[in-house]
Amino acid sequence: MTRAFVTGMRVQITQMLRSSFDLIAMLIWPIIYASIAYYLLDAKETPHELLAASIGSAVMIMWAQVVIGSSGTLDLMRQAGTLELMVAAPVPFVTVLAPIMVSTSAFGLYGLVVTLVWGRVGFGIPLAIVHPLAFAIAIPACVIAIAALGLIVASTFVLYRAAFSLGIAMQYPVWLASGLLVPLSALPGWLGPVSWFLAPTWGFRAIERAAVGGDAWPSIAVCALASVAYVSVAVVFLRVFEHLARQRASLKLA
Amino acid sequence: MIWLRVFFSGGVTSYRALFAWINPWMAVPMLVLYPIFQILFFVYLGRSAGVASDSFFLIGNTFIATAVTGLFGMGQAIAGERRFQTLPILLASPASRLALFLGRAVPSIVNGFVVAAISFALGAWIVGIRYPGRTLEELAVVLLVSCFACTALGLAIGSLGIRGRSVSLFADSISGSMLIVSGANVPFARLPHVLRTISSGIPLTHGIVAARELTAGASLGHVEPLLGKELLIGVIYLVVGLAMLSLFEHEGRRTGALDRF
Repeated sequence: MTRAFVTGMRVQITQMLRSSFDLIAMLIWPIIYASIAYYLLDAKETPHELLAASIGSAVMIMWAQVVIGSSGTLDLMRQAGTLELMVAAPVPFVTVLAPIMVSTSAFGLYGLVVTLVWGRVGFGIPLAIVHPLAFAIAIPACVIAIAALGLIVASTFVLYRAAFSLGIAMQYPVWLASGLLVPLSALPGWLGPVSWFLAPTWGFRAIERAAVGGDAWPSIAVCALASVAYVSVAVVFLRVFEHLARQRASLKLA
Repeated sequence: MIWLRVFFSGGVTSYRALFAWINPWMAVPMLVLYPIFQILFFVYLGRSAGVASDSFFLIGNTFIATAVTGLFGMGQAIAGERRFQTLPILLASPASRLALFLGRAVPSIVNGFVVAAISFALGAWIVGIRYPGRTLEELAVVLLVSCFACTALGLAIGSLGIRGRSVSLFADSISGSMLIVSGANVPFARLPHVLRTISSGIPLTHGIVAARELTAGASLGHVEPLLGKELLIGVIYLVVGLAMLSLFEHEGRRTGALDRF
């Protein structure tokens, strides 16, 4: 299982590094969202807000990478006819999917770097990290939590023939409900409890508080707990959806 | 007669292939949910920033929906031929290239219009904006012109699919940049001069301004110059796209690169 996981990571990272689409998209999209936020906020007097917007944009891209990357990979597997082979492999299917999630989410770190550099160079946002240790721990905690939530979502992609279009559609709802660029206080009240169940909410809070000041450790702890919970749910979901997909013989439909 | 058959049948078949349709409901997540949530996202972002009204973001992102369908739809209608290895067969046919590629443009324009109209209607209903019936009719005219302009740009992008592999890269980058440059989500007064200059040469910019003026009470006659500019930009991209298609087809035949993937 460990070998399958490590090999999966290596293959996925190699694919992404060779994909001009992934590399360019990861360069452009964080800049676009961060720039919109900078232009709209126009908060030169409050650089904290702009730094928070940078981090929000980076977490948005992490989530986008996970849902688009995983749905795109599953679509490619269907088209190449390898999805059936992956499901039939003598390792749990979660071992095949998990490396895709972790590597796509970790690829979001590139987005974080791009956003912070763009904010510094283009808009003069200071890069003063208030709690460097918490910041260094919050980032992997956020990456793993988002990847684990992605596993739950990807389990439904196994069942759905148009996974990629579903993946595309899942970006904005989660960005909104997690309060990444739009503060939760500006959203309808019922979205507050929804946000508690979403990894990007806690990942963003952890990184933001570590960067601009505040206690990041409770959010980091929630990220860790949520990751365990997500993986437990994903394992069950994957078993159920994999069984359904086998029963309907839909794995080969591209 | 053959010209018309290639134009209509080819266009409709290509459109269906674009979504690999067995069931049309598969298009709902990308063509309905995505633009509606995009509208909501920017409406709430605008509210929290206190920069412009809900209508500003509703109009801007409704037009962006036409960019996504126009650029990706039209781009992939051509680039998809390479992916499914039908490009050499398509270009070996004696069919008129104009019928072949314009036939693919019409469904893309209609699709963009329908997607934008649905997004606009649902978005307006959710955020609680109402416009008079006459304004809606005039908005439909502006939207149609912008759909044409975006599809024309999509044709130019799609032509790159005859020469290279990744059209999505260009469509994605350009449609993303349009979120800012076209003025869909940031008032022009807040954009740097260089972006404002670029914006005057791309589809959507003039259409969005015209639509915002209509919702502010202007008449269709008042925004005619803006509509004329949007139409002119569309025609220029269409001519450039057709020229690029011709050039790249010739180059592809010469270098034997049509079935390389």
